[in-house]
Amino acid sequence: MTDAAAQGLTKADTARAGLAVTFAPVLRSEWIKIRTLRSLLWGLAAVLLATAAFSALAGLDDSGDQDFDPLFSAFFGVSFGQIAAITFGAQAVSAEFQGGALRVSLAAVPDRMRWFAAKAVAIGVPALVVGLVTGGVSLIVGKAVLGTRANGLTWGEGLRAVVGCGIYLMLMALLAAGLAAVLRSGVATLSILIPFLLIVSFVVGGASGNVADFLPDKAGQVALHETWDGALGPWTGLAVTAAWAAAALTTGAWGLRRRDA
Amino acid sequence: MTSIDVQDLTKEYGSKRAVDHLTFSVLPGRVTGFLGPNGAGKSTTMRLVLGLDRPTSGIATVGGRAYATLHEPLREVGALLDAGAAHGSRTARDHLRALAASNRIPERRVDEVLEEAGLASVARRRVKTYSLGMRQRLGIAAALLGDPPVVLLDEPSNGLDPEGIIWIRELMRRLAQEGRTVLVSSHLMNETASFADHLVVLGRGRLLADMPMREFIDARVQPRVRVRTTDDGALSALLASNGIEAVEGEDGRWTALDARVEDIGRLTSAAGLPILELASEEGTLEQAYLDLTATETEFAATPNPTEPQEA
Repeated sequence: MTDAAAQGLTKADTARAGLAVTFAPVLRSEWIKIRTLRSLLWGLAAVLLATAAFSALAGLDDSGDQDFDPLFSAFFGVSFGQIAAITFGAQAVSAEFQGGALRVSLAAVPDRMRWFAAKAVAIGVPALVVGLVTGGVSLIVGKAVLGTRANGLTWGEGLRAVVGCGIYLMLMALLAAGLAAVLRSGVATLSILIPFLLIVSFVVGGASGNVADFLPDKAGQVALHETWDGALGPWTGLAVTAAWAAAALTTGAWGLRRRDA
Repeated sequence: MTSIDVQDLTKEYGSKRAVDHLTFSVLPGRVTGFLGPNGAGKSTTMRLVLGLDRPTSGIATVGGRAYATLHEPLREVGALLDAGAAHGSRTARDHLRALAASNRIPERRVDEVLEEAGLASVARRRVKTYSLGMRQRLGIAAALLGDPPVVLLDEPSNGLDPEGIIWIRELMRRLAQEGRTVLVSSHLMNETASFADHLVVLGRGRLLADMPMREFIDARVQPRVRVRTTDDGALSALLASNGIEAVEGEDGRWTALDARVEDIGRLTSAAGLPILELASEEGTLEQAYLDLTATETEFAATPNPTEPQEA
């Protein structure tokens, strides 16, 4: 019993040490790649700027809509910030599909799954951090602009939306990253996702309470609302978005594994 | 010890067979020139060795192991495949830092290889400001990053200026002298002749030759002797009477075919012919290569319909 427990511990330690040796260097490498491309850093900055700016603008409009949701008003800019987030995710991956860059990367890290996992973490973590900051800034700016109209908001709702905003933007960046790996092109990825987010989801999403609730953006943005009436709540909605992102990443990983570099 | 071994390697893209049952070894301590026209399968073979493309059949190993199983491969094998592989918006130094980090190569090594490749002064400039030659140097710096015992270079002299070509030639010679395994592909003959000890020649995916360069040339090109005299008639008669075929050049020089300078020298001396010039003409790699591909083309032009089909 004790022996087995001791052995189990050793095994876990070995696994942890193995991970430190095999995964950490690759993650470090991928993180260097992200932070040494100015366009990617600008993309992250744009997530914050676009979200906060459009949230503030939305708050200024006090036409007294019946469906007025003060929480979503503060987070309205996410619809624009997410464009920057998907651009970030798509570009971070598509940079590998230019001029034989992927061959250099995979010659250095032949384990493609390990490499792609490191890439996803190197995209997801900064997107999450920037998303959380964006959420916090949006909430503060939104509340300031809304003034008394935001009085009904509780701290719990605010916190949930900030965390939801971080997770949502991370998931959208990962969805784009996965799709970019499938399509092997950033331009192709963005020309699918941006029209989808700006047009399809806006139009189809008008009528809620149907299958449109399960679109990646619709589902995840429930977390940014004070009240909701669809099938999905804040966390189930984010889970649906996570499923979309996971599907894209899995398909991307599968293609990467199968195809010649 | 750390040789590259390719065994019965075949790669098909759709119905096109890029590499066709290839078997050869690249040994350490010498520069092996990898020759063949464009599209012969040189780059494909290199990608197969690096585990980037999957073979249709056959295996390729480095030091007895499949590349994909190497733990920190940059420390075992350095490769230059595409000069355009570094992202244009990244600096050369950052490009190498990211690569080094993935294989736990210390950062000081990045500065060392940049220095070695002559890029130290421009290391913090973005790669898109580089000329093709500079990108090529960066690719070679990346190949040297892990101080690997095996080096694969695909057309390394592409875009290099004359100074760069001399640099890469000396670098390859030095790497081989240090006991490393060096495989260098090229479609330029004179270029390859200047650094290769051994040759692996491909044609349409198949192995045409695998032998020391000197042997390859001697087996295919007859030695010739260039001779000039004051008395063309006497020389012509002398050579003809000894069964040596000779042709007269426009400048009064005669070229004796399939002859050695020792024989011609003795003959003319014995005959008392005044000699103004006597020189042996070594066969060149280009001549040998063209001779090889000419026979290959002939062979290809008359395909044997009874040739067994591969399953």
